[in-house]
Amino acid sequence: MKKKKMLLSQETMDTGFIRKVETLSDTSVRSCFQCGKCSAGCPMATFMEHPPNRVMRLLQLGQWQRVLAGRSIWYCASCETCSTRCPNKVHLASIMDALRKLSWDAEGPSKESYVQLANKLFLQNISSYGRQYEMRLAAVFNVKSGQFLKDMMLGPKLFAKGKLKMFQRKNKNLTEIQKIFSRIEEMRKKGEAL
Amino acid sequence: MSRIGVFICHCGENISRTVDVERVARDVGRLPGVAFSTDYKYMCSDPGQTLLKKTIQEQKLSHVVVAACSPRMHEKTFRKAVEAAGLNPFLCEMANIREHCSWVHENIEEATIKATEIVGMMVERVKKNRVLPTITVPVTKRSLVIGGGIAGIQAALDIADAGHEVVLVEREPSIGGHMAQLSETFPTLDCSQCIMTPKMVDVANHPKIKLYTYSEIELVEGYIGNFQVTIKKKARSVNEDTCTGCGVCMTKCPQKKIPNKFDQNIGMRTAIYIPFPQAVPNTPVIDRENCTKFKTGKCGVCQKVCGPGAVDFEQEDSLIVEPVGAIVVATGFDLYTIDEKPKGSPIKGYGEFGHGKIADVIDGMTFERLASASGPTGGKILRPSDGKEPKQIVFIQCIGSRAREKGISYCSKVCCMYTAKHTMLYHHKVHGGQAYVFFMDARTPGKSYDEFWRRAIEEEDAVYIRGMVSRLYQKGDKIVVMGSDIAVGVQVEIEADMVVLATAIQPQKGADLLAQKLGISYDKYNFYSEAHAKLRPVECATAGIYLAGACQGPKDIPETVSQASAAAAKVMTLFSKDQLEREPIVARVREAGCVGCFACKKVCAYGAVEEKEIRDRQGNLIKVVAYVNPGVCAGCGTCQATCPSKCVELDGYTDEQVIAMIEAL
Repeated sequence: MKKKKMLLSQETMDTGFIRKVETLSDTSVRSCFQCGKCSAGCPMATFMEHPPNRVMRLLQLGQWQRVLAGRSIWYCASCETCSTRCPNKVHLASIMDALRKLSWDAEGPSKESYVQLANKLFLQNISSYGRQYEMRLAAVFNVKSGQFLKDMMLGPKLFAKGKLKMFQRKNKNLTEIQKIFSRIEEMRKKGEAL
Repeated sequence: MSRIGVFICHCGENISRTVDVERVARDVGRLPGVAFSTDYKYMCSDPGQTLLKKTIQEQKLSHVVVAACSPRMHEKTFRKAVEAAGLNPFLCEMANIREHCSWVHENIEEATIKATEIVGMMVERVKKNRVLPTITVPVTKRSLVIGGGIAGIQAALDIADAGHEVVLVEREPSIGGHMAQLSETFPTLDCSQCIMTPKMVDVANHPKIKLYTYSEIELVEGYIGNFQVTIKKKARSVNEDTCTGCGVCMTKCPQKKIPNKFDQNIGMRTAIYIPFPQAVPNTPVIDRENCTKFKTGKCGVCQKVCGPGAVDFEQEDSLIVEPVGAIVVATGFDLYTIDEKPKGSPIKGYGEFGHGKIADVIDGMTFERLASASGPTGGKILRPSDGKEPKQIVFIQCIGSRAREKGISYCSKVCCMYTAKHTMLYHHKVHGGQAYVFFMDARTPGKSYDEFWRRAIEEEDAVYIRGMVSRLYQKGDKIVVMGSDIAVGVQVEIEADMVVLATAIQPQKGADLLAQKLGISYDKYNFYSEAHAKLRPVECATAGIYLAGACQGPKDIPETVSQASAAAAKVMTLFSKDQLEREPIVARVREAGCVGCFACKKVCAYGAVEEKEIRDRQGNLIKVVAYVNPGVCAGCGTCQATCPSKCVELDGYTDEQVIAMIEAL
């Protein structure tokens, strides 16, 4: 990602977003004083373009678009090392969680990572089959992400071991599972869930 | 014949590791005049000292040599022990066989020979030692306090409350100093005026405090316990005794547009003025440079309207001499100004911040005056340029401080805290405004200090950005701040309405000149030096002069008050005795030989050499000779080395003693 100059003003510093993150994660974004301990212990930090401490810093400055445009939040393994060791009681793992949730609705979500796409398709499968339909997930993901031959060579091996099925039967209790989805949808409309 | 006792110390293993102490004791015991010699593991310990005392009495010793560490370490200890045993303390000498021998050598044989020689030299020296009586000087139990800020006020009140008279001298027309200018104080945000003005009134009303405002120190003579201080009382042009402080003169004065220094020149005052409404004393002063009467001879309105007839255009500066026994220096600080580059000063300015060019780039003290309820805006944060409320305000820390290139390498200590306070004051006063702070480190050691700056961020919405600002420039009515956030690693740009610079703390202008008058030392920044950085932090190396507050180095209010009380305690300790005892290591003049060339007077750094007339019985003047005042003499020996006729000798360090040492080698 290009390092663009940051223009700070009351408008760019979207405090509303910070409040949302704070409510969702039940932790204070402003408590962070940038000691860097989270990044020091993060097993995934080397793969992130914004290490955890910088994610916090960008959030503090209201620069959440920069965070959501990157893959850092998706590389987070939720191991909670950062939260455990933070000297200021910042539950960073739960902030990462909140950011992943918020990226769902936010405009211009991650272009560089297909994690969100994979997650969406995963849930779509569950809502229409009541269980996971791996073959379909892989096929649709490859088509949608434009990487048609991705992991193609793994297919036969998995197929031989019975891990992949050509056709998947729907879950017996599909209606029950669909009820869960529709209830969440209702809650989201009411604003009780995100 | 002298009966010398020699006591060799092992200093645990510090000496005995490389010096064969038993052999030294044996060899030294054979020297002529030595009646007794022994060694012991710790001579300075209680059993060691008991051994010393017991031996002096049992062996009827006349002189003592203790071969141990440096005399700087334990000379006092052993001389005290010798005195307790009934000998004059100056008949005891120390031979340094630790720093000068065991610590710097490895070869035991050679170190032992050297130690024996060192002790032998001291044996020859001590034979020539004379009984020296302790010198006593009288103590004038009055104290001078220079500077009427919070440091001076606290020291003066403490000394006066102990029952001693205090002379308090302040350069400005009112006491109060910088603390009176502040709006609210960290870390509790109590109003500075509310805690300061009662103390100012206490000073004015205290029966033991003699207050000289609008006055300066002209000359300091004398020495500990006996200073003569000449104070220049500048012409106020208003009679302090008759003025009632009604203020009519100020309302009628036609000169109303003079920038008020107390308000950092953003507020205006008249030519006859008091710097602020709570001033102590509440007596106006005429600023003769700006007064129409003094400039053109016409006007005199203030004199006409003054009911009690207190205005006196004829008043002149007067000199007053005050005898005091101790001096507390509490001259405080000044702020670094980045646009002004005083000629010859090593301190450089910051061209890139446009201070002095961009009207809305102000310093921290100006912000204090804006935020102060008694300030020129009545406590509203308004831009100096157009009087609008700034919606985006940027604070920049470390201006001047920690900038070696600009000439100041120290940390000013208070800026982190007052900037955090400023963001809070701003947050309380400007609703919907946003404060940003550019900083390098937040240095907040102190009780409840770190919590305070965290509160500024977590509860009072200040945005702290770690990284410095490269440049400020005007763009329309905004100031563009070009900075960086080093945590993110990108450049940051803010269009601010107002910028506040946390400028460094410097000593008062002219601090060096006052130090020269007092004879105290100061560092390269003109901060006054303490006698010892850790163990004597409130005393000057010059006896009888004490330090309080920011004149010694950057300090906040709690620290300043603590030091002022500590200085007061030191003064009280001095005043607890009627006579002051001094070490009798002072120079003496052999008057018969003195030719009165006064070369000694010229070289004496302490002003201890006086001229003395020798007269016969009829009162005819025979000659004028030098006389060393034992109360002032510091025992440096410069006069002894200078005297062409060898007629000045330093007791305890006579030529005879030193030559005896050399001959013993």
